[in-house]
Amino acid sequence: MQGGVAPFVAALVVALALAPFRLGGLSVLAAFLTCTYFVSGLQVTPLTAMRKLLILAIAAPIVGVLADFAFKPTRVGAVLLASAAAAAALWMLWPVISTKSPKEAWLLSGTAVVSVAFMLGFAQSQLSSDGVRAGAAGLAMGLGVGIAAIFSASAAIGLQGIALGAGAGAYLLPQMIRGKKSFAGATLTLTAVLPAGLLAAAAMVLAQLPWYSVLALAAVPVAARLPVPQRASVWLQALLCSLYGFVVAGVACALAWPTPQ
Amino acid sequence: MKKLAVGVLSVALPLGAMAQAENYVIDPFHTVPYFEVDHLGFATIRGRFAKTTGKFTIDRGAKTGSAEIVIPTATVDTGDPDREGRPRTRDEHLRTPDFFNAAEFPTMMFRSTAVKFAGDNPDVIEGNMTLLGATKPVSLKIERWRCGPDPRTQGKRYQCGGNATGSFKRSDFGMKFGLPNAIGDDVKIWMSFYGFRQ
Repeated sequence: MQGGVAPFVAALVVALALAPFRLGGLSVLAAFLTCTYFVSGLQVTPLTAMRKLLILAIAAPIVGVLADFAFKPTRVGAVLLASAAAAAALWMLWPVISTKSPKEAWLLSGTAVVSVAFMLGFAQSQLSSDGVRAGAAGLAMGLGVGIAAIFSASAAIGLQGIALGAGAGAYLLPQMIRGKKSFAGATLTLTAVLPAGLLAAAAMVLAQLPWYSVLALAAVPVAARLPVPQRASVWLQALLCSLYGFVVAGVACALAWPTPQ
Repeated sequence: MKKLAVGVLSVALPLGAMAQAENYVIDPFHTVPYFEVDHLGFATIRGRFAKTTGKFTIDRGAKTGSAEIVIPTATVDTGDPDREGRPRTRDEHLRTPDFFNAAEFPTMMFRSTAVKFAGDNPDVIEGNMTLLGATKPVSLKIERWRCGPDPRTQGKRYQCGGNATGSFKRSDFGMKFGLPNAIGDDVKIWMSFYGFRQ
């Protein structure tokens, strides 16, 4: 209920209301905030890593909307957004990472920075022009992060990940029903992909998600870019892209299942 | 001469009272904080922490004291150490940001603000507990208290020991996972403690 149904309903309302204004991607924010409200509350003090994530999840769509309305999507823009995402991951997690041994700190910070930057950079440069591919990537990534986080001992991070997936699903569903693709842009990629990447990194640093599972999750947007029949209907394209993403996300979840003690 | 004697006494008495203040260091091997919380409305889950450290002072003459207790959150133990086919144990779950967030907040701390006495013994310790970065008032009731020579050292070491209890709402500290129905908000704590006089 907290991670799936309520976030999905909230996201669907937002998607239906704002899609005509090219703001349908904000449905993912609605889902994330709904889940976070029920699971841990929306307060931001004291400023823990997870509350920094909440701030970033709220700030990301603002940046995304501004980027979409003020700039044309370029490769340089994608690199800038990816760099900002990497910096955001370090801001969020460095106070915890800095307490680890140098070897572990390098592994955790390197994995967090590389995975978040790659996810966002790839999604922005390769998926943002296609509402179906971007939505499918958000769906698979959210569910993948959520299930992997539950395997890693944090049900709260898991529910938030599943909520992101539900939000992306709510963004995808009207497209499948109408047979017409919606605008994605940085509004969707930042709103869906950045929190998903940060949740995976948080589950790695604050819970027990293995670093290699985080790297596998970073490949989900690549899977959503795999070829689909050009003339296939929107619902079929959405289904295929989601399935591609689910396969990679499934591998990441399998990697997150712990070895026997 | 009489005035001089009164003056000397007025200066010396507080110094004498200060001299009665005794400092104790918590014995981490015999100081164990326990907690209990409602689970699903059916049963009570109990747990404990290990390796608790800290110190306390007591001044029986002035009936004052202080206490500081530091509890490593990663030592939380509810008696569920083996995964047995599950992805993670309950204790592993308790260490994540859902509950104690041990990676980010490795310790929780109680620091007294006032100690109330009943007769010659401390009765209630009022103070602040810091958990998950939030600091809120918590009171500990001293239910048992005794001081004397440690029989394990043939009386060479002087110790005080006892039991203390208290309670708090975990939501006050931002620990909200599982509220309102799965895991209770009210947390009861009780602690057996020992301190060695320095």
